[in-house]
Amino acid sequence: MGTKLTYEEHELIASLRKKDDEAFSYLYEHYSGALYGVIKQIVGDAELGNDVLQETFVNIWRRIDSYDESKGRLFTWMLNVARNAAIDKTRSKGFQQSQRQIPLDGEAVQPSVRPGIDDYGLKKLILKLKDEQRLLIDLSYVQGYTHEQIATALHIPLGTVKTRIRSALTQLRALMQ
Amino acid sequence: MNVKEYISSGIVESYVMGLASETERAEFEANCAQYPEIAEARNSFELALEDQLLNDAVPAPVFLKQQIEDKLKSANFHADITNVEEETTPVRRLGPWRWVAAASLILLAGSVYWAIATNKKYQELQARNIQLEDSLKKFNGETATIKEGSEPGPKSDFKMASIREGDQAAASIYWDTVSKDVYLMIKNMPQPPLDKQYQLWALLPEEGAAPIDLGMIELRQQRLLYRMKNVQNAKAFAITLEPKGGSLKPTSQPMVSTQPVDL
Repeated sequence: MGTKLTYEEHELIASLRKKDDEAFSYLYEHYSGALYGVIKQIVGDAELGNDVLQETFVNIWRRIDSYDESKGRLFTWMLNVARNAAIDKTRSKGFQQSQRQIPLDGEAVQPSVRPGIDDYGLKKLILKLKDEQRLLIDLSYVQGYTHEQIATALHIPLGTVKTRIRSALTQLRALMQ
Repeated sequence: MNVKEYISSGIVESYVMGLASETERAEFEANCAQYPEIAEARNSFELALEDQLLNDAVPAPVFLKQQIEDKLKSANFHADITNVEEETTPVRRLGPWRWVAAASLILLAGSVYWAIATNKKYQELQARNIQLEDSLKKFNGETATIKEGSEPGPKSDFKMASIREGDQAAASIYWDTVSKDVYLMIKNMPQPPLDKQYQLWALLPEEGAAPIDLGMIELRQQRLLYRMKNVQNAKAFAITLEPKGGSLKPTSQPMVSTQPVDL
């Protein structure tokens, strides 16, 4: 823990913009675990997870000026930075050679979220969804496929994919409470 | 637009989790700016998601923090990311046939590149086309909804009142005179002393009527929108500083109050 124990969110953002080390340290202590959980769920491998968490915090540090408070909370922005970094990693060549990742081409639709002993966070919630909803959230949120790719792969109209993903997300939210 | 329907359509979750398309994002951001209810729905989902993930945090290996901080501090960090490595290639003399071979290789590479680029361009155009068709359909759908929505029925009619302190805006109040919902947006208010809290009041049009309590304000975060208690009637709003937990009647002079609401 840094010497300063708490920050108001706007204070934290202002300090981060000034590249304040202490604020960064606080940010890491406070949020790295939550982001690491999501990252690990996407990349599935602890070592890669470490790389991605590092990239995530480097990106947060470098791009804090592009964060816009009017569009949402700091955590939401960081979560999206983390998710993008994790999905990029799964798209890299090295990852595809070593992992189960199979191009989404209509033949092989592979859910990546399967029950395990380390169910936590979003995964725990995703596993509670009905099969079809789980597949859609897995493909879109966890594996990062576009709605268009999913529509092609599952032979479902694009509009339907969109509606079903939205209703799955609403369901996911209901499970949070 | 039917705000309630829009909020419950899943767009909020889809936007926050990064699954909305670019068109949807732009539209959602514009809607948040226009309808405080939508911005509030976004904020409350963001908080729920944040809570969920913080509760289920997975500690990262301890050594990682130092490693990341070292990386950020290292003097080479900027050079690392901005400089593209330049390698110097030794110049060699080529015989005439080698020139021909090199030229044809360049030609070949050129045409392969052209073929790939054209194909890529085509695919991009196709994707763009699908996207446009998609948004057209959506807009058509929305136009239909708007047409239906313009029939008489419950609508929102927001009155806005600004609470000012000196020449600075301290807070804004949005009062839906149809649903009677009251929202408060804090812009700039000092933190109250630990044993005090701000309280919002509605002042009634009737002469001598006691102000109505609209609830306590938790100054947890600037610029956050608060939903306050509903009120049927009001001519203006005021904020007082009260002992923690609030009072039945204002016990202090209003810190700030609004101009009469123009009904």
